[in-house]
Amino acid sequence: MKSVISILSSKLRSGEITSAQLTEQYIKEIEKHNPTLNAYVHLTFDEARANAAAADKLIKEGKATALTGIPFTLKDNIATDGLPTTCCSKILQGLKPYYDATVWSKLKAQGAVLLGKTNMDEFAMGSTSESSYFGAPLNPVDTTKVTGGSSGGVAAAVCANIAAYGLGSDTGGSIRQPASFCGIVGFKPTYGAVSRYGLIAYGSSLDQIGPMTQSVTDAAIVYDAIRGEDKADGTSVPTPDGKTVLNGDVKGLKIGIAEEYFDGVPSDIKSAIDGMVAAYERAGAQVVKVSIPALKLALPVYYIIACAEASSNLGRYDGIRYGFRATGYTSVDDMITKTRTEGFGKEVKKRIMLGTYVLSSGYFDAYYKKACLIRKAVESQMAEAFEKCDVLFAPTAPNTAFPLGYSGGNAVQTYLSDVCTVPVNIAGLPAISIPCGTDKGGMPIGVQIIGKKFDDSRVLDVAYFAEISGLSETADFKGGVRV
Amino acid sequence: MSVTQKEIKTLARLSRLEFSDGEIEKFAPEFEEIIEFANKINEQVEGDTGSIREVVSRTVKWEDLREDEVKESLPNEKITSNVQAEGGYFPVRRVVK
Repeated sequence: MKSVISILSSKLRSGEITSAQLTEQYIKEIEKHNPTLNAYVHLTFDEARANAAAADKLIKEGKATALTGIPFTLKDNIATDGLPTTCCSKILQGLKPYYDATVWSKLKAQGAVLLGKTNMDEFAMGSTSESSYFGAPLNPVDTTKVTGGSSGGVAAAVCANIAAYGLGSDTGGSIRQPASFCGIVGFKPTYGAVSRYGLIAYGSSLDQIGPMTQSVTDAAIVYDAIRGEDKADGTSVPTPDGKTVLNGDVKGLKIGIAEEYFDGVPSDIKSAIDGMVAAYERAGAQVVKVSIPALKLALPVYYIIACAEASSNLGRYDGIRYGFRATGYTSVDDMITKTRTEGFGKEVKKRIMLGTYVLSSGYFDAYYKKACLIRKAVESQMAEAFEKCDVLFAPTAPNTAFPLGYSGGNAVQTYLSDVCTVPVNIAGLPAISIPCGTDKGGMPIGVQIIGKKFDDSRVLDVAYFAEISGLSETADFKGGVRV
Repeated sequence: MSVTQKEIKTLARLSRLEFSDGEIEKFAPEFEEIIEFANKINEQVEGDTGSIREVVSRTVKWEDLREDEVKESLPNEKITSNVQAEGGYFPVRRVVK
């Protein structure tokens, strides 16, 4: 892995290249590859050129930071003032928000260059990005395969070097799983470490914005730039001052292995992770077996809680104030119903219905309340595991990228693909997915490194060991901007 | 447990969604499959899941709530910029007769 951000940043600061020139290189490569990959759904080249001019000024004035002048992308559910933000849904077609998400304000202030908004499952509900209103993005490693999801467009753009990095969102694995499918790095910070202000809500108690990058070093740089308490997000929390320090020293590190994470995981994924863990052991880390029985229930608990929150969060889409509005209605109520019926896709409707079901009287205690109780159990059992170890290693997904269309008919089958990622969201923990070899067909496998709450820097540092030891390589796409 | 077509219609009404009879027929088995999946939470696991009575809201830190201060709002023309506003208002069909 190489730190694309560090390399580009030093070229920009030394004057070898200007941000305007670099931005044009990215634009050229997007125009070349995006028609095939469908990674970007809204191109913001005017904004990018204006951002680049501002960045070149900052560089000239000696005010550049690590991200100044570097072109990147945002997932299409992160609000950008005056620029399209549609959650890849018909119901939000034409929406241009009138404020910036905090993460975008922070990056813009540092002179980041926004190339465009990237493809995703409609309202982030999915694991393949195929439920996007704009059609699925394709996996640059093999264009007959899905990118994973829901942040599939960011993963494709970063993998194909048509964005230096991107921000995705992770409600049940939507950063880590596509990162794993496309052979890049995806980091989901502790719940609250990064402001959600301006992130269009899916499951508010689970959603978290985080970086998707070409290296662990890059993930740490981006994480440092976006984290911290935000008065506009009551669930955000202060994070430590100063930069995240990466040493990659794993001597004495206790790696926890919970066998529940490996249930039903195919042998090639399991042995790839075993191989990675063995390399850590050779460097002085120690393996500890832990048990987290409640993990078995994490997946249904996740779907109950996420859908319950979604049915409430998506109640606001009525066609009155923005986005799509149906025609041919007879009353306001009829307008709202017709707008929602025509505006939402199939998977979104299904999840709204499930959420309404588990929250309705008669079922509330049996589903929602019970799910909340088990959530606490998952949280406390994971906390108990962390009394015996520093980090957990687990597969990111029980499979590599599916062929396009594979999961079409069977919702539950696709839900199962989230089994390894959802526990982290339920418990609000930080976790990173880094590449860990390939399967028999050459598709990337991801290993997940999970930490205690607010131990984000340790998670990054443990992953950094794999980067500096050559244990983890990002997928090599023959195209895009070569760095 | 099976979900009746009548129940699906009620849920759809509560969700402000519409399904034709044909769509409900297709949707019902899919929905039932998901409910069945959700029912897995009733499976027994080792460890303490039953005795936790307190469900603590993770999204609100009550002690940290800010003062309710009036701040400057977004300008009207920005708020209405996403629809064909009429005189600074969101146009809808008449609701009061």
